[in-house]
Formats: sequence, structure tokens, C-alpha cells
Amino acid sequence: MAGVGGGNDFQWCFSQVKGAIDEDVAEADIISTVEFNYSGELLATGDKGGRVVIFQREQESKNRPHSRGEYNVYSTFQSHEPEFDYLKSLEIEEKINKIRWLPQQNAAHSLLSTNDKTIKLWKISQRDKRAEGYNLKDEDGRLRDPFRITSLRVPVLLPMDRMVEASPRRIFANAHTYHINSISVNSDHETYLSADDLRVNLWHLEITDRSFNIVDIKPANMEELTEVITAAECHPHQCNVFVYSSSKGTIRLCDMRAAALCDRQSKFFEEPEDPSSRSFFSEIISSISDVKFSHSGRYMMTRDYLSVKVWDLNMENRPVETYQVHEYLRSKLCSLYENDCIFDKFECCWNGADSAIMTGSYNNFFRMFDRNTRRDITLEASRENSKPRAILKARKVSTGGKRKKDEISVDSLDFNKKILHTAWHPKENVIAVAATNNLYIFQDKIN
Amino acid sequence: MEYKVEAHRIMSISLGKIYNSRVQRGGIKLHKNLLVSLVLRSARQVYLRDYYGGICLSAQQAREWCEGEYMDSEQDKLVPGSTESLPESDGQSEVAVDKQEPSNVVESHAALDVESEASGEQDHAENGVLDSGCSELKTPEESPEASPTCEVSNVENLHEPIVPHTCTNRKRSADDSELTDSLPKKTKVMSSTLISKNDEKKAETEEMDTSNVSSLITIFGSSFSGLLSSEDGAQPDSEAEDSDSGQICCDQMLKNLNPWSTAIVAF
Repeated sequence: MAGVGGGNDFQWCFSQVKGAIDEDVAEADIISTVEFNYSGELLATGDKGGRVVIFQREQESKNRPHSRGEYNVYSTFQSHEPEFDYLKSLEIEEKINKIRWLPQQNAAHSLLSTNDKTIKLWKISQRDKRAEGYNLKDEDGRLRDPFRITSLRVPVLLPMDRMVEASPRRIFANAHTYHINSISVNSDHETYLSADDLRVNLWHLEITDRSFNIVDIKPANMEELTEVITAAECHPHQCNVFVYSSSKGTIRLCDMRAAALCDRQSKFFEEPEDPSSRSFFSEIISSISDVKFSHSGRYMMTRDYLSVKVWDLNMENRPVETYQVHEYLRSKLCSLYENDCIFDKFECCWNGADSAIMTGSYNNFFRMFDRNTRRDITLEASRENSKPRAILKARKVSTGGKRKKDEISVDSLDFNKKILHTAWHPKENVIAVAATNNLYIFQDKIN
Repeated sequence: MEYKVEAHRIMSISLGKIYNSRVQRGGIKLHKNLLVSLVLRSARQVYLRDYYGGICLSAQQAREWCEGEYMDSEQDKLVPGSTESLPESDGQSEVAVDKQEPSNVVESHAALDVESEASGEQDHAENGVLDSGCSELKTPEESPEASPTCEVSNVENLHEPIVPHTCTNRKRSADDSELTDSLPKKTKVMSSTLISKNDEKKAETEEMDTSNVSSLITIFGSSFSGLLSSEDGAQPDSEAEDSDSGQICCDQMLKNLNPWSTAIVAF
């Protein structure tokens, strides 16, 4: 079965799965964000318990030429703790909403992680050597009496077990009244933006006690509120440009050079609604849950409940491509509203070449679309397909009355098994798929 | 008909979600609550579409239902001039049911746009009433429509509020057409006025499925007896004849109305 992703026919294989196998999933273990770093060497996940787990790819070994390096745990730390806002009598969840890596500038790695209210910059550094033979102190660290020193020696570096430390270097707090939904590092590598339901703030990575508010859509009278900000991202190359999406299905592109407060957009992207498909839930399903620029910066992709749309930044009145993710759910919207699934926020991602896009669905299915061939494929992240290098079989949901063999009917889908977070390696065909508390890593088959 | 049941169900679910969001960990999620409120509003609009079309409120009832919120001086203008021709059991003396009400009712755009069949006026009424069809379950369930009573204030302009007629209309499309036969003008007045007052309702009236009308007309030939026979008026096939029954269903609605309106207003 032909795969999708590289432009050529290839197939996706299982590589690894991380996480407990138990049927009973602790809520704190549910993965809430997945992100590769710029080189793809590191893969970070955040969970509802406020923890961050970073996986590092092992060097390719000669012993196993068929598989690329595996991802193994590199560092685990508690990024956020639950807090209590005494003034408002509100508990602040420790769930990690987003992780964004900073470009690597030295031997250490840095990332931003955020919960609903506070963003933290973490530095992850490793030590695998230690110095021995100090003059002024003993091996156990006690200071030596200077008068007892009779000779000098040069300390030598000896290998030690690798020790990885994560330390919070900056804490950006108290700038958001509403729940933070996005953070995005700017291409200038000095600033980043954070967005909540009604505001977007611009920060400098070095300055924690101040941020600039660049978008504010809060109405004077909250009763007049009609839309909220759902996602925001900086342009990958133009450090003055960013976009933010709204709950009404619109995207606004703003240029920070135009004004200090970017309430007036430079571009406004909206596709006219199809009046024939109006229902009670039209507004909910048009709400954009994720927006991502392509690596080239020429396109952006938006995810709403049922589809993924690719927009050309030069054309505002409609997307250039629309892909249906699970159109068979359109007739089930009422049930999905009842069980709250209609509010699920699916993310989407590009591959390194911008030739393919990926997004998640229910029943642990995820979908990939090849933009060139227009082919799409549905794959499943499940323990049953977890044999090493097992080729993933394409899945299909039967929409008609007749269910073919190997197809699954819409009513049999497990809506508790949802894939909201996926990530694609920036350079290779390696993908990370978060299925509740498990992280699956798939790669293309190497012959 | 189904739309109304569905709309009501969605409204209940939405209110439940809004309520639950207050106790959820992490505080109230603005985005989700906004979306839920949009759904609530859409469902409410659909629900009200029929409600207003069919509802026949006396000035007094409207006043009660709205808990005084929506009533204004216009209410006083509602004079039950004509004597009731139908027996009213609950002493709603202000309810004036004048079967001879001439069709000099408020000319609503909707009423005018609606196709008329055998009895043109009643078509208008029906369309206003039964756009999505009346479901059997209407009477008690419709009471949650209390919040819409803010728009019910438009009733003030009704020349002749028609309680039994309304209830019946709301209850079942079949019966409505019959009612219209018997009280064509009043229904028209009712619905027309309501519709004309409310742009939303007007727009929706225009969308009405006129195929309902013919069935409504035939159904209207029967009586109100069904209203009396069931507690909640949920007897689609029974026929409503009595204004009494209409009154009863209104009373039931009235009882359920207040808690709902309070809930909605409070939120």
C-alpha cells in the first residue's frame, strides 16, 4: 500500500512506542504537546501533569543499519506545578500546553514550555566529563590546607556517566489574564510571542518582567464578545510578521512594523461559509484549532474540526487546498457535541519539504496528505502494530451502508482514543504521534 | 417538528455544559463557553421560531412569564376587547378570543410572503407557528423557552392574544391547521404580530416549509380535546379542541418557565 510523505511511494513502519501499556491511564500522563527541535535530534513531550520528557536520538549504529537511531529518554523534569490564584479562587492547571525549542546557540539546549498562565525557559545541559585532580580540594570536595600542598598538578577530564540537568532560566509570568494557547519563537531568535484567548504578547527572551501587548481583541463590554484567539505563530523568516487564528475560522496576518498595537490586520484570511451546510454546530466546527506556517514561509495551514486547509499567503479569500480529515463525522456532530469531542483541538504539521501534511483523528487514527499527488492515507497508532519495523497498514472508515472487510464503521470508532498532537522530523521521514499517554514513533521503511 | 425537539435538547445540554464549566479545574474556559453559548443561541432561535409562531399569549400571561422584565406600558394597550368565544377555565379574562377577528392584523412581511392555501390567513398563522413542525412533547418542554419571552414582549402588539390556539399550534402541526380553520384570524394576528416584531422570526417565517400548511389545514379541522387528555400535551394524534386544554398547556408551560428563565438570565 503506497504511503504518503516523501513524494515517492514509500511506507511507514513502526519504530518505537513510549509510555505505559496499562489500560488505566492516569490523567497526568496524557501527552499534551509534542515537538522536535530544529535538528530533529531531540523530541520533547509535555503532559497534563506538568512534566516534560525529552528524547534524544541515538547515533546510528553499524550494528543495525536498517533503523535510524532510536529515541531514548534524555531528560525528564517537572516544568510546571499546579497553582492557585487566590484572588480569583481559580486553580491553574499544570498541563503543558505548548513546548517550543529555541535554536541551539551553545552546547546546551533550550526550550520554552507553557501552561495556562506562565511560560518558562528551560536550559537542558549535559555533563559527561568531570575534572579530577584539583589542587585546592580533595576528591570529595573538601578544601585542602594550602600549606600541605607540596606540588601542583593539572586537573584532568575523565569521562563520567552522562548527567543531564534541566534548569529554569527564565520565568515569564503574570502577563496573561486568559488561558495561553500558543507560544512561538521568532526568527530573530531574540523574541517570542505568546497568545491567550484575547491577547497576544511579545516578549524578549532575556526580559521577564515586561512584555509588549501586540494584539488585544477584548471588547469593552465582554457581553459583546464574539470571537477569541485560538492560535498564533511567528513567520519562519520574516521576524515582523505573525498570524493569529480565531474561533470564527478566520486568520489575521499582522505586520509589527505597521503599528505598536496590531489590532488592524494586514491580511485577513477567510473562506466564505457554505450556507447549505449550516447547522447548530457550524460555528464550532469552523473554529480553527491550529495554524502552522510552512517551512518555506509561503503557505500556512489551518486545522478546523473536520478539515485541514492550506492557504497561500498571497490569497486571502480562500484556501488553495482543503483536505477532509473525517468528513463522516459531519452527521454525528450532535453526539460529538454531547460528549464534548467537538471541542477537541487537533493540531497539524508539515513535513520538512512542505510536500505533505499530517493531522490526527479519532480511534488513534492519523491522516497524512500528499500535496503533490493529492493522495491521502489513514494510519493507526496501536500496540497491535507495534512490532519493530512492521509496516503500517492503511486504515479506512466505511461511510456507506456496506462495510467492507477491514474497514471500520463510524459507530465503532473509539472517540476516547484521539490523536491531537503529532510532529514531523524537520528533515527526515520520522514522525511522532501522541496517542493519549503513549508516544509512537514511525519512520519510513529503509531498504 | 424534530427540529424543535432537537433544539430543546441541545439547549439543555448547552446549559449543562455552561454550568459544569464553572466547577471545572483550571477555571472557566472562555473559548469553549463562547462556542457553547453560540450553539445555545442557535438552538434557541430555532426553538423560538415555532414558539412565537404558535404561541398565543395573553397580556397577563406574558407579563407573568417575563417576570415583569419585559413588560412595558404597551401591555396595557392589550385590551381584551372582544369577548371570549371559547371557554377559558383559568380565569385569564384578558384572553380575548374573537373568532370573528377580521384579518386586519398586523401585516408582517412573513405573513405576506407566506403562500396561502385554502385559508390564506391561516397559512400565515401556521407558518409562523409550525415552521419546524410541532412535536408532541411540546407543552412542558416549551416552557423552558422562558428566556425567549423577552421577545414575547412583542405580544404586546397583539390585538387578540389567543391562548388556546397557541398552545395547540405549538403542540402539533396537524392540530394547528385545524385551529386555524376555527380561528384563522386570531392565529394570524398572533403570529403575524409576533413575527413582525421580531426580525429573526420574520426571516424564519419566510423559510417555512409550506408543505406543512396543507397538512396543517386538514388537521385543524379536529378539535382540542387532546390537550386535555395528556398531562404534557404530548399526544400528537389527539385533537385539541378546547380552549381549556389550551389553557392547561399554557399553565404547565408557565410553571416550568420561571426556573428556566431565571437560569438563563443568571448566567
